[in-house]
Amino acid sequence: MKGRATAWLWAAALAVYAFLYLPLAVVVLFSFNDSLLNAEWVGFTTRWYATLFADEQMLGAAANSLLIALTAATLATVLGTMAGMAMQRWRSGLLRCLPFLVLTPVAMPEILLGVSLLLFFRQVLDLTLGLVSILIAHITFSIGFVAIVVRTSLAMLDESIFEAARDLGAGPWQTFRRVTLPLILPAVLAGFLMSFTLSIDDFVITFFVAGVGVTTLPLQIYSMIKVAVTPEVNAVSTLLMALTLTLIALAARLAPDALKGRM
Amino acid sequence: MTERRSARHAGGPGESLTRWLVSLPPTLFLLVFFLAPALLMLGASFREPGDFGGLAPARQDGQWNLSLETYRFFFGDWIYAEIFLRSFLVAAATTLLCLVLAYPLALAIARSARRHRDLLVLLVILPFASNFLIRIYAWIIVLGPADLLYSPFAVIAGMVYVHLPFMILPLYTNLEKHDPALLEAAQDLGADTWTRFRRITLPLSLPGIWAGSALVFIPVLGMFAIPELLGGTGDILVGNLIKEQFLESRDWPLGATLSILLTIAVLLLAGISAWAGRPRRSSP
Amino acid sequence: MLRVVRRLALLLLGALATPAHAEDVLYLYIWNSYLSEDTVRRFEAQCQCRVNQDYYSDNEEMLAKLEAGATGYDLVVPTGFAVETLLRKAALRPLDKARLPNLANLKAEFREPWYDPGMRYAVPYATTVTLLGYNARRLAQLGLPTDTWALIFEPRYLEKLKGKVTVLNSQRELMAAAMKYLGYSVQEIDPARWDEAKRLILRAKPYWATFSNSTYIKDLAIGNIWLAHGYSSDMYRAQQDALEAKRPFAIEFRTPKEGAVLAVDSFVLLKGGQRPDLAHRFIDFILDGTNAADVSNLIGAGNPNAAATPHIRPEIAGNPGIFPPPGDLRRLEMLRDFDPKTRRILSRMWTEIKVR
Repeated sequence: MKGRATAWLWAAALAVYAFLYLPLAVVVLFSFNDSLLNAEWVGFTTRWYATLFADEQMLGAAANSLLIALTAATLATVLGTMAGMAMQRWRSGLLRCLPFLVLTPVAMPEILLGVSLLLFFRQVLDLTLGLVSILIAHITFSIGFVAIVVRTSLAMLDESIFEAARDLGAGPWQTFRRVTLPLILPAVLAGFLMSFTLSIDDFVITFFVAGVGVTTLPLQIYSMIKVAVTPEVNAVSTLLMALTLTLIALAARLAPDALKGRM
Repeated sequence: MTERRSARHAGGPGESLTRWLVSLPPTLFLLVFFLAPALLMLGASFREPGDFGGLAPARQDGQWNLSLETYRFFFGDWIYAEIFLRSFLVAAATTLLCLVLAYPLALAIARSARRHRDLLVLLVILPFASNFLIRIYAWIIVLGPADLLYSPFAVIAGMVYVHLPFMILPLYTNLEKHDPALLEAAQDLGADTWTRFRRITLPLSLPGIWAGSALVFIPVLGMFAIPELLGGTGDILVGNLIKEQFLESRDWPLGATLSILLTIAVLLLAGISAWAGRPRRSSP
Repeated sequence: MLRVVRRLALLLLGALATPAHAEDVLYLYIWNSYLSEDTVRRFEAQCQCRVNQDYYSDNEEMLAKLEAGATGYDLVVPTGFAVETLLRKAALRPLDKARLPNLANLKAEFREPWYDPGMRYAVPYATTVTLLGYNARRLAQLGLPTDTWALIFEPRYLEKLKGKVTVLNSQRELMAAAMKYLGYSVQEIDPARWDEAKRLILRAKPYWATFSNSTYIKDLAIGNIWLAHGYSSDMYRAQQDALEAKRPFAIEFRTPKEGAVLAVDSFVLLKGGQRPDLAHRFIDFILDGTNAADVSNLIGAGNPNAAATPHIRPEIAGNPGIFPPPGDLRRLEMLRDFDPKTRRILSRMWTEIKVR
């Protein structure tokens, strides 16, 4: 009886795995399709990858995405680590509102963050939209993710270590640099990788705050999906998948608990 | 070691300074770039649209140029509230479908041999590694020839596909922690597979269900790309309406009003979900 | 470890500190599929600079994006009424005609546009007609006419095309099509007539697959959609794509007999642009006869440039959808901007159309 139930369970599980993978398999497959349109299979070719690497607009978008992701992830990791530490250690007074501030951007639908930042940049700062506006937006929604991961990691630490450090005469910065940081480093790095992935992948918020001449890969893909649907889109999708896959595998290896803990 | 916990909070002379140095930067950043824009949005919903778009000045010739006009417009005709209703229904359908699809998978992984689990979880995350537009695009390719594009079916399919991992992972995290001894004891007492599931596994997994549901329901409410790329003329949701006000109709006050109403809806839902999923005394 | 991080941070700061417009880049905001890659590359080679393009598929979308802070474009390509809007906003930089010797190439009838008397701000680039593009084989099979707006508004035709029709996601354009079908002017603002048009649209809406400003090009070419309301240049592209991909049908396009919207799209310089010099060079380059011909030969748009005429392929010059004959021209109207109050009413009506 138990065996049959397990068999059914695994059949269902496999069906869901198939559901997850088949559409993407189609995308990857058609990236080698020798046809202008994604209508039917004509023949095998790698020319779309060649077109991709000659496409300056696309390469520019990729470069922008990478630059933004690196910078945003770095700053978000710094601020997020600070927030995570603050949330874990100090919960009195004004700082009671910190969890709300940090976690709400994570919970909100992205469109709300996007339009409110657009409004803010235009009405209050009169900022010309561009790299800076995208950066700020990406940092805002990434801080929460890093903070959650770091806080979870800190919560799992034995507090007596900090006491011991203090008893031995270490100041706060020393304690951080030589005790705390090494211990939470996997979580910090996982947070960095997650912010990086989120930034590279972001579409909705970037859509509202991107400006002139600064396209990111998702925005470029969006405009290609709407207009120029040659298999070049499939090619860039396949490559992007390979990249984020590598990053997530790395993150999973560095801090498997932290990654699950963020849920 | 718990007696020394209070000593941790008391701290030395550097503690107070450290507290400010560490907590101030992120707090300030979020106050400026998250809270302020949100408050600005609230204010914008009471303003008049500018002649060419944007917002008209709040004060003109010494007079406040504010009105409840957009709220009157929204509540003046039932069809606008209907769009919220439709978005809720789509979100609910998506959440339910995600639950139905995610549960067997999460359960299967949680019950599998420990050494396989990380790999199986990674296999779940992999498709998630693709950009969400690509996942939508995959459905455009698949549904086009099948004549199913630009329909409610396409929208739901896209929504479920994009959000499924958000349901699988919290469910799995919860299910993994269930103590197998409970199930063995039940079996010894004569309970069959279905009863064991219904009375032990399912109730214990409720916090995971709530967490996953919140992670699916709330983002779906705000989506616009999926209805835009996969949906038909009758499938637009709140997100599309908001986007149109800002990037096409240039009616920012109306867009702000819609955003505020959506925010309130989301906060209410998040509150309900947090309350429902709160740790009870009997949970693992 | 920390040292590596520090070094990385310095590198990033260095990268960010480089001024954005260091090299010679021309920022162009233009309709999608409105400028051929060949033309751009030839210009880039000639000026030793780079052209950075962003795209839009509707004037409203473009105006909204500019209003929402997308300053920094050197050139935009608005339709006539949008030039009006931009002028009223004082957003445009006047032309330096000394730098545009090729202006003389323009046809006489385009030199005094109503939206820009004296041609002080806008240089005409291309013309399109908003019409119906269709899958010729399917419509013939269904025994449907191909020259009337009734195709997208009348249930008796829509029944056969249910789920295979798209219309433009544009307030002005869709209303204009409805107005023309009902026999009114596209500038009509009588509330009773607007109401009539709204009811016409809402009656037909359930049969339409979706509102689309650009996806209809590929949908027509692939065969997912059989009839689309769109711009003649896009229809030309769909036609060529279908031919190239050897689809078992042909895409054709015709101006409906009730009349349609004629759009004259011009280059304008934005005040926020950093490189008016490059912008002028680009405009002069486009005004040259051989380059201007690309607009017709490669894009399938009408041409306001007289020097281009000898270079235009006969099959394109003779296509009534691209170069409307005098008979058609009489029934074509150009859109004019509405005053802000009217625009708001239309905007709210559009929201209602979307939601109902």
